[in-house]
Amino acid sequence: MNRLYPSRHIAEFRRIFQDPVLFIGLVLVVIFVLIAILSPIYAMVDESRTTEGRELFDRYLNSPVYRTIIVNTLRMGLIVAALGTALGFLIAYVQVKVDVPFKRLIHIVALIPIISPPFALATAVLILFGRNGMISQGWFGVRYDIYGLDGLSLVLTLSYFTVAYMNLKGMLQALDPALDEAATNLGASKWRIFRTVTVPMLIPGIAGSFLLLFVEAIADLGNPLVMGGNYEVLSTRIYVSIVGLYNTTAAAVLSVILLVPSLLVFIVQRYWISRTSVVSITGKPSGVSQQIRHPLVRWPLFAVVMFVVLFILLIYGTIFAGAFTKILNVNNELTLDHFDFVINGYGSEAMKDTTRLAAIATPLAGLLGMIIAFLVARKTFLGRNALDFATMLGIAVPGTILGIGYLLVFNQPNEITLPLVGTIEIIPKLTGGRAIFGGAGAIVLVYVVRSVPAALRSGVAALSQIDPAIEEASISLGADNFRTFMRITLPLIRPAFLSGLIYAFARSMTTISAIIFLTTSRTKIMTHQILNEVENGRYGNAFAYCVILIVIVLVAIGVLSIAVGTTSGAERTMEGGA
Amino acid sequence: MISSQAGSLVLENISKTFPQRDGQGEVRAVDDVSLTINEGEFVTLLGPSGCGKTTTLRLISGFELPTAGRILLDGKDISNRPPNKRDMAMVFQSYALFPHMSVSKNVAYGLRIQRVPGKELRERVERVLDLMGLRGLGERRPNELSGGQQQRVALARSLVVEPRVLLFDEPLSNLDAKLRVQMRSEIRNIQRRLNITSVYVTHDQVEAMALSDRIVVMNQGKIEQIGSPEEIYRRPTTRFVADFIGRANFLEARIERVDGGEAEVELLGQRVRVPVTFAVSAGDHLTAVLRPEALSLREDATLAQGAVEQAMYLGSSTDYVVRVGEMVLIVVETDPSAHVVFREGQTVGVTFEPSTVHLLPPG
Repeated sequence: MNRLYPSRHIAEFRRIFQDPVLFIGLVLVVIFVLIAILSPIYAMVDESRTTEGRELFDRYLNSPVYRTIIVNTLRMGLIVAALGTALGFLIAYVQVKVDVPFKRLIHIVALIPIISPPFALATAVLILFGRNGMISQGWFGVRYDIYGLDGLSLVLTLSYFTVAYMNLKGMLQALDPALDEAATNLGASKWRIFRTVTVPMLIPGIAGSFLLLFVEAIADLGNPLVMGGNYEVLSTRIYVSIVGLYNTTAAAVLSVILLVPSLLVFIVQRYWISRTSVVSITGKPSGVSQQIRHPLVRWPLFAVVMFVVLFILLIYGTIFAGAFTKILNVNNELTLDHFDFVINGYGSEAMKDTTRLAAIATPLAGLLGMIIAFLVARKTFLGRNALDFATMLGIAVPGTILGIGYLLVFNQPNEITLPLVGTIEIIPKLTGGRAIFGGAGAIVLVYVVRSVPAALRSGVAALSQIDPAIEEASISLGADNFRTFMRITLPLIRPAFLSGLIYAFARSMTTISAIIFLTTSRTKIMTHQILNEVENGRYGNAFAYCVILIVIVLVAIGVLSIAVGTTSGAERTMEGGA
Repeated sequence: MISSQAGSLVLENISKTFPQRDGQGEVRAVDDVSLTINEGEFVTLLGPSGCGKTTTLRLISGFELPTAGRILLDGKDISNRPPNKRDMAMVFQSYALFPHMSVSKNVAYGLRIQRVPGKELRERVERVLDLMGLRGLGERRPNELSGGQQQRVALARSLVVEPRVLLFDEPLSNLDAKLRVQMRSEIRNIQRRLNITSVYVTHDQVEAMALSDRIVVMNQGKIEQIGSPEEIYRRPTTRFVADFIGRANFLEARIERVDGGEAEVELLGQRVRVPVTFAVSAGDHLTAVLRPEALSLREDATLAQGAVEQAMYLGSSTDYVVRVGEMVLIVVETDPSAHVVFREGQTVGVTFEPSTVHLLPPG
């Protein structure tokens, strides 16, 4: 544990005070973290500790029904984590190490799930493989009941394996090919290299992906709502507690139960796995790795990967087809009615609101992420690690939990009573009816909170590639921290800034669990509308929403790439020379 | 205690501790260092890696804050002044050029911060690029330059702001040997011409000797010795300094007689009188320093006899390792043409130039 050295900490803070911009930046960041991340989580935990909450804890943990729900949640999490990591690893390995055709296609298809809205996959899978499925019944003539764990595992695996793929692909590319060559040189076969070099080097990445997928899966709300059937999990139970029973205390208690494994995994990931990593990601591979060409390895792997690729394409094809037909599989007449509904009809409000709010949240999240990355990676002050940790909680905590926290904290104005001055409203009512901006403020805040962690991580990763001496040179020449950040740091981490922005926009447009309790009659959100359409069986409208959402995200990626620029202008060397 | 007014840059009892990696305890990187640097002086901090020289430089620049002590510039305490307000410019080991800016923009960066008007700014950038032999390269990006050119841009960028103090953090260590020698003399010439107070950090003792008015030899966070290159080489005050600067033979010496600031000792069978600046008395055992080039080998049976254990012919000199009784001596013959090149295993007579003998103070 760190000992405290009062004099040093005072000196560090005095150093920050001396630079007003740095000081204000730090204060704003801390206020953001306290109000937008920590206070809702705290309020939620606090709510569960009331007398009523304690009784509920007792009841839930001793009731067979709730025990089943908890076991269901964990079982689903483990299955999805295992399948998703395996699939991500397979595609990453084939992509990096095996000589197969169509690599570009495989890569793009593997990335698609990032920009796809929730429900899209689940609904399409239902149409294809459900009780009256086009394929299950139409081709094979079976009445297969996909609702429940099978369907959930399939849909969640396809939704989240991308995380594992990206993670492991990065690590595989960073593995020094000289290691393979050294092993070969010592007489090892390819299979032996795979077992004794590649996999052991990747174990932290594999474990990290597993944990990440586990958390994503147990936090997911959209898919269990559509696919769960009788298989109930915590997130759906929390949803029902709020939306059906209006019981926030019950929801808070269930949230705490869900929070425990999520936080545990987050802490393990942060303090154990990240420390044991032996692969150094330098950003540039130091050579060209030998590709596996053995036909007995190459073609079976290729066949498996292509099966997955075609399966994903089939699902997205179904989404597009469904958006353009009356009722897919029942009445396959082409129509634009669903698009009319979304663009000109009832859905247009949600489309505009969602896009506008995501567009407001995106630059805030991107910039905030870079500022926190700068503070965390480049400045020393007491509480630096705490700031990083608290910011990451924004994504480590399941979305439903954050949403309930917002209801608890912001459903009334937050006031403080000061002597002499009287009562002052510091934060107005942000959620529910008659909230300021029709509740849009809370939604933007949640978008930012959910997106900042990714921007922070990519910012820190980019900063670690840049020699701190470059920034010191700027300061040594008389520039203050603000000027150095704007003129030197931000331009150099531009690619990370861009990916932070893209992630923020895509995440904001597609998120459901965190905002489902926060939409109001005045602020409609597309993902919530999609859920309504799916629940009412109007799949055509839901698919049209999905297609439009995907198009908006793709357009935004294009606009952001042009506006921000994809390069820093220093691509050949990032170390200020040498 | 050093007077605060004497030099342009004064370090008063500066210490810096860092927490250890594991969070347990502290590392004392700089330990009670006091130093006065005069106007226009070129001072080098020299020592092995981990001796605290770079930390000392970073304390001067303001990138690190001292745990104890004060730093004064022109008599004013700047210990808590942020690094961008210290009127010092640093040349970094990695050059730290802004990779997304052209050479001109790199050089103009500090002037823009000082809000130097456009015309003057352009003139000053032009002038410094000329001075550094970079004419015509202004529009290039740093990654389009050679290592030596990048080094010049880094120096130009620091010189152009006309700082009160110029700081160098091992600026030549990324250059190849020939370029290093050339840049060394250019840095020395420009510093002399512009008369900028300079603090230079290096672990290369030859570089330190070539550049400095004074050298500060550091070891384990403390100053071992401060002096001109000649003083440091010829009259080291500690065994560490004698060993770190150049090569040295250490011989046991018993004081036979003390006589008016001179001590008489017997070395390799010869009686020599050595000036001493500290109190000694007859019978004391001290360590004598003999530089390898002060020794020579002769085929002379009247001298102390030794066996050549190793002979390495290096062109301009020949290095020998010679065993004399229990002692192993390094001998550098700088004029091999004058003598025979002795073979390994051969028995030779060892002699030395008496005026070069130096006695280390006890302790």
